[in-house]
Amino acid sequence: MTEAILSLKDATLSLDGNAGRVAILKGITLDIGRGETVGLVGPSGSGKSSLLMLMGGLERASSGSVVALGHDLTSLGEDALARFRRGHMGVVFQSFHLIPTMTALENVATPLELAGVHDAFERARAELEAVGLGNRVDHYPAQMSGGEQQRVALARAAAPRPDILLADEPTGNLDGITGQAIMDLLFGLRDRYGATLVLVTHAPELAERCDRVIRLQDGTLSSDEHAKAAE
Amino acid sequence: MSLAIAGRIARRELRGGLKGFRVFLACLALGVGAIAAIGSVRESIRGGLDREGAVILGGDAALQLTYRFADTDERAWINASAEAVSEMVDFRSLAVFRSGEVAERGLTQVKGVDSAYPLYGAVTLDPVMPLEAALGITNAVPGAVMDPVLIARLGMKVGETFRLGEQDFRLTAALIREPDSAASGFALGPRTLVRTAALENSGLIQPGTLFETEYKLRLTEGVDLDALRLEAKGKITGARWRDKRNGAPGIAEFVDRLGSFLVLVGLAGLAVGGVGVSSAVRAYLSEKTEVIATLKTLGAESRTIFLSYFIQIGVLTVLGVTLGLILGAIVPIFFAPLIEARLPVPAAVTLYPMPLVEAGIYGVLAALIFTIWPLAQTEDVRAATLFRDAGGAGQGWPRWRWIGLTLFLFVLLVALAAQFSGLGGLTVWSAFGLAVSFIVLVGAAWAVRLIARRLASARALRGRSAVRLALGSVGGPGGEAVSVVLSLGLGLTVLAAVGQIDANLRGAIARDLPEIAPSFFMVDIQPGQLDAFTDGLEANPAVSKVQSAPMLRGIITKINDRPASEVAGDHWVLQGDRGVTYSAEAPEDAVVTHGAWWPSDYTGPPQVSFATEEALEMGISLGDDITVNILGRDITAEVTGLREVDFSTAGIGFIMSMNPSALQGAPHSHIATVYAETEAEGAILRDVSNTYPNITAIRVKDAIERVSEVLAGIAAAITYGALATLVTGGIVLIGAAAAGVRARTYEAAILKTVGASRRTILTSFALRSALLGVAAGSVAIVAGGLAGWAVMTFVMDTDFIFEPVSALLIVIGGVIATLVAGLAFAWGPLAARPAQVLRARE
Repeated sequence: MTEAILSLKDATLSLDGNAGRVAILKGITLDIGRGETVGLVGPSGSGKSSLLMLMGGLERASSGSVVALGHDLTSLGEDALARFRRGHMGVVFQSFHLIPTMTALENVATPLELAGVHDAFERARAELEAVGLGNRVDHYPAQMSGGEQQRVALARAAAPRPDILLADEPTGNLDGITGQAIMDLLFGLRDRYGATLVLVTHAPELAERCDRVIRLQDGTLSSDEHAKAAE
Repeated sequence: MSLAIAGRIARRELRGGLKGFRVFLACLALGVGAIAAIGSVRESIRGGLDREGAVILGGDAALQLTYRFADTDERAWINASAEAVSEMVDFRSLAVFRSGEVAERGLTQVKGVDSAYPLYGAVTLDPVMPLEAALGITNAVPGAVMDPVLIARLGMKVGETFRLGEQDFRLTAALIREPDSAASGFALGPRTLVRTAALENSGLIQPGTLFETEYKLRLTEGVDLDALRLEAKGKITGARWRDKRNGAPGIAEFVDRLGSFLVLVGLAGLAVGGVGVSSAVRAYLSEKTEVIATLKTLGAESRTIFLSYFIQIGVLTVLGVTLGLILGAIVPIFFAPLIEARLPVPAAVTLYPMPLVEAGIYGVLAALIFTIWPLAQTEDVRAATLFRDAGGAGQGWPRWRWIGLTLFLFVLLVALAAQFSGLGGLTVWSAFGLAVSFIVLVGAAWAVRLIARRLASARALRGRSAVRLALGSVGGPGGEAVSVVLSLGLGLTVLAAVGQIDANLRGAIARDLPEIAPSFFMVDIQPGQLDAFTDGLEANPAVSKVQSAPMLRGIITKINDRPASEVAGDHWVLQGDRGVTYSAEAPEDAVVTHGAWWPSDYTGPPQVSFATEEALEMGISLGDDITVNILGRDITAEVTGLREVDFSTAGIGFIMSMNPSALQGAPHSHIATVYAETEAEGAILRDVSNTYPNITAIRVKDAIERVSEVLAGIAAAITYGALATLVTGGIVLIGAAAAGVRARTYEAAILKTVGASRRTILTSFALRSALLGVAAGSVAIVAGGLAGWAVMTFVMDTDFIFEPVSALLIVIGGVIATLVAGLAFAWGPLAARPAQVLRARE
């Protein structure tokens, strides 16, 4: 394996729920190498999305360590985490999570602006053209279809050229054909920019496209296969 | 059928609780509560005036005479008509208190009473003692009681001696409460109460001096007051009649007008609350879009859905209005001791149904006006919403019938307010002003959104992510711009208008004063004293001018032999008695506009020169006959000239001036205006009162101060009335901020995900609040300024000067209010963990 870009050691995550504290992740240890494409699979509630959030610093590990690009994410504060994500991480969600009060162009330009990129809008426009939305730059999310919104979200995640792309069931809310197009775009982006891709999915055919498939079961790793055969 | 189903659906939906309706209920309850409370206090004062009519008046009936006492026949008739009679005399004078070499002088309104006083109620003194004892003679010096304000001004203590005219009095107690003070009306000086008999040697009551006498009558039960009034009119010429049915007509009318004006201010508060009500309903219905779409999928018609939500909002409206009515009824009763202590008149604070009915009607109508629009939009929710974004509630215009119904309800509300307040013109103009402000504010909100949207993508702002985020959120869809600008803007508009009115009212007197106003008005100068008085003052180098004129007082009773009120209605010149003078030649500065002045040696039938403006208003023209009752004698004079009288110069101005032979024979005194250097005023006052104890000097500065105090009191009442609007505006603002928390939390989570620091997010939140605050405040300055101008120009009939300080404070206040409300609700979104927020939305 090439050098580890993401490294988790005995990472746990417990959250307070209505029925008390619930252990979501129970001691995850794994390394992900630079440029790898990793599929996270497992039944609902197994902790896939939580693991992805931990990797992105969107959730803080209750114990253990999460190291990304040499930075221990568990020791960073909210703002330091935000700044870290600016240059290094792109996240795509199942529900797109675009800012409803911003146009497509503004949504894509925002992370670039935050990173201090001087031609943020030009790059954002190019990014939208790359995902086939050059004619929708001034549209608000509510004026777009789900597939279009997810393409904007992809453009937003890819625009800062992150080292790591995290995708949480990016096709979960889309029909088969649109979902397929989005995945092609996602893998295309990854191939073009050489980012590490971690993808949470329920779809076996998507997992099959990854270099490595990690299976979770009840908050623990149940398998870690480097073959292209998965569920 | 659909009503029953709608009712069942409504009941099931309401089981969800009232959580989303706290702002709705608070806005409605507060708006209705404020109006109900104002109405209740007004009714309490009316009730107090009615109940205590005889005490306030000091008798069941009262007859007032100017300049004279009743003659023997008249007094005999009065005595025969009543069970008991109290005679009193009322005039202005200077109280002089000497302490060693220093003498303090204070203007006072002296009331001389007999032993029958008071017929009703009781005088409260400090120390407590009977009035009989307080006014009695000890060691040949009669006693007197005095308003504590004047005692303090003179630096006197109980037991010390002061002088009125040429008579010494011993201060025996402070006058805490005079039962019939409210009936006396506006007075320039605080009260001094003495025995009339003790004034005999004071030199203050002489033929021609300015005094009024009043005969208070205690009547036997069941006397026909109207019949007695008619009889009195025939028996005592020139007497003004009042009775217990309306003991203090001036106060009653003032309270009515101020109360009604405050109800209008309250209605403005309700309009601000209406914005909150509307926003709450919009937010509720927007959350219900899926439910509505589901119901439509299941076969519910638009009508059933409309009815279902109409019933829900109706139930909440009834709840909000009821809460408001309870509030409006209880608050005045709870604060009754405080209210009664602050009022110069008795108040019967209890539960009054009429103000509650009035406030309830306003509340229901306002709720309907502000909720029909969003409710009507439920008709346009399509079942397809469940499958794709096919338009939720709160988008687009409702159908015409709903817009028409809203307009009809608005007109109905205005008509009812005009009817209830009795201030038709003011109500219609206020409603017009509010409606225009409303439209301008909506326009401003849209303009702000448009500009923000344009600026958000402006090249110059690229890279300034916090600013661009703020602009994007103000300009983007689903923002709070309209509701914040509208609610805050309306609230600030009312405050700005009140601020401008307040500043203009307070400044009106000082501003309208001519640059060279006289230092003193001197009254009661006896004809024999005039030359020496004038010469003495003119010899003083500090005195630049002394003007004097003979002065009598009279009531215009007839115009062309018809009762004056038939010809000129209730023109102010006919309200009470007016000053009348005489002059052989036209005064130097007189401008005769019509007709001519009589020859200087004219001795024929009486002629009168009338003030031009008032003559035109009253329909009086050259050749008309005017009958004036002076000292009980009717003098009929022909109008042979009209002249300009400028009351704004604060100089001597008489509505009527007659030829000398018409009036010279009647006992009279002179008045004078003295123009002097400010530093010399103290010495002049001292010299005049020492030399002429009977002459009363009224310092113009003191009089202005007293009038300013009254105006400041009115301004304060209006400001208190506007407080309800401010509080409602605050609630709407908090409601809007609270309603935006979910959206902001979500936005903050996404922004954090893409790398925004909390500082950037917080700055963006603060900027958007400030932007909306500035927009609302700016519109409020213009709209409030216009409203202030309209009220000052058309209602107060005085000049308007834009007051920039209060205007600026309003904008700053608006920005701070939105900032505080916005930031108070920013901590939650900032602290939320992005993963949890975003997952909850999956």
